[in-house]
Amino acid sequence: MQRLTVLSSQPSRRRFLAQLGGIGLTGLLGASAWEAMAAEVVELPFANGRRELVTNFPQKGAVLLQRTRPPLLETPFEVFDQGVFTPNDRFYVRWHLANIPSVVDPATFRLNIHGLVGRPMSLTLDDLVREFRPREIPAVNQCSGNSRGFFRPRVSGGQWANGAMGNARWTGVPLKDVLDRAGVKAGALQVRFNGLDTGVIPQTPDFMKSLAIDHARDGEVMIAYAMNGEPLPLLNGFPLRLVVPGWYATYWVKMLDDIEVLDKPDENFWTTKAYLIPDTPFANVAPGQKGVKMVPINRMVPRSFFTNVQNGAVLKSGQTTTVRGIAFGGDTGLAKVLFSADAGGHWQEARLGSDLGKYGFRQWEVPLRLSSPGPHTLMIKALNTAGVAQPDHANWNGAGFMRNVIESVSVRTT
Amino acid sequence: MENIISTKLRDIVLIWAVPILFGIVLATGLAWLGTSDSTAVGAKTATGPVRGWAKVAVDLPTSETSFPAGKGADIANAQCLICHSAGMVLEQPTLTRDEWAGEINKMRNSFGAPLPANQVEVLAEYLRGIQGRQSPSSPSVLDAQGS
Repeated sequence: MQRLTVLSSQPSRRRFLAQLGGIGLTGLLGASAWEAMAAEVVELPFANGRRELVTNFPQKGAVLLQRTRPPLLETPFEVFDQGVFTPNDRFYVRWHLANIPSVVDPATFRLNIHGLVGRPMSLTLDDLVREFRPREIPAVNQCSGNSRGFFRPRVSGGQWANGAMGNARWTGVPLKDVLDRAGVKAGALQVRFNGLDTGVIPQTPDFMKSLAIDHARDGEVMIAYAMNGEPLPLLNGFPLRLVVPGWYATYWVKMLDDIEVLDKPDENFWTTKAYLIPDTPFANVAPGQKGVKMVPINRMVPRSFFTNVQNGAVLKSGQTTTVRGIAFGGDTGLAKVLFSADAGGHWQEARLGSDLGKYGFRQWEVPLRLSSPGPHTLMIKALNTAGVAQPDHANWNGAGFMRNVIESVSVRTT
Repeated sequence: MENIISTKLRDIVLIWAVPILFGIVLATGLAWLGTSDSTAVGAKTATGPVRGWAKVAVDLPTSETSFPAGKGADIANAQCLICHSAGMVLEQPTLTRDEWAGEINKMRNSFGAPLPANQVEVLAEYLRGIQGRQSPSSPSVLDAQGS
């Protein structure tokens, strides 16, 4: 069988020098500065989608620059073809507030647990590691607005392609165990999480998110101190990050240093005014539709992607190639992944890679042999164990959240 | 479990030998050692699956991008860049003047941007000019929430 290498044959990645206005600047800047400004540029497949591939963020390799400050960095999609775990140095980054500590010292760092608890605590990292039993969970962390750039009509916000997601093995301590140690009192309603980041100006609401007390104590929500077996990169939340398996990443508070048990609903801006979705299946509404009840975004929905073939790929007719990709079930495991070589006319079940945990990516693959020359539309569709399938038509909402339409690629056989 | 955690951290523990050097680096106010390898120094002994915690110190890149010239660019450069670099603004889809005004007012009302009310219209017209479109016949479909 032929392994597809069509990704690298695509013209979407071009290396060229940033326009500096000619050779004169080389002398002014010096050779190293010139080299540093030579930018590889990626054209994301939507209008105004040109992004630089940058390597100047700490603890990060080549990532797509969406914004420098506060950082928004996208994982280049070819990374997802390399395995089900997204390397830490390629893992996407999304911060809301620009006042991010650039130094974190474990000697002085404390995680505070307070509010409606019997024993408020101030834990060191060593306390967490030594005094609680570690757990590990593979889980997808996906931005609520992943794929926003594909919304039609377009909506404002971070213009991501499909790379505002990643899958990692998270190691840490169940939040439940920490809350139990603190002794949650009767009447607890929610648990609120805060990290070290703050706004540049004091008027900006501090970024905090809350979970219902039962969710916080479900045994799966975790305070993670390791990601793929290493400390988290600072930009992914070093030293601690909340892991909320199956839920969108807005809840996965980075640089977590404060946990407050509340006896009333959290009224903070980020919980009540931001990250709201229409309370409809797939958060789907018609553009301009009014009067829809809005609720906080919550559980993820299933998705699947091609990783070794993309639009414009040319295949040889009569030859068998392995088409592959990744998929995940959202808030529960994958049931199956279906592949179509005829734009959804017929579907066949893809072979799935090993199941390392219901919240993580799984690889899928199918042998594909197209006999007739000409254009073909390949499609991939995930179904989860709760019976939820990716929709035929793209879901839409005005904030650009929760896109999970069946993915298609147009290929040609010769 | 232990293997998983300790694999990379072992490297960090190995670098323990240089905390003193690190102190000198700090004391002399030198810049950090670099980027990906700047998680320099082990902190203290732990007996759990994590055997040592390293202090992490990084340099976050700054953006040199300013807004393109035009009437209102001075407002954009003075106001927008307080809290965020220009990149994401310039990457937006084309928005109408009213939609840009909505974005600006979101920054003022939700995030406390100190932009005076009487500069909103000029800035909205400027942003429409650099990354915008004329008003369509139908109303905006954008969601005004602050995320």
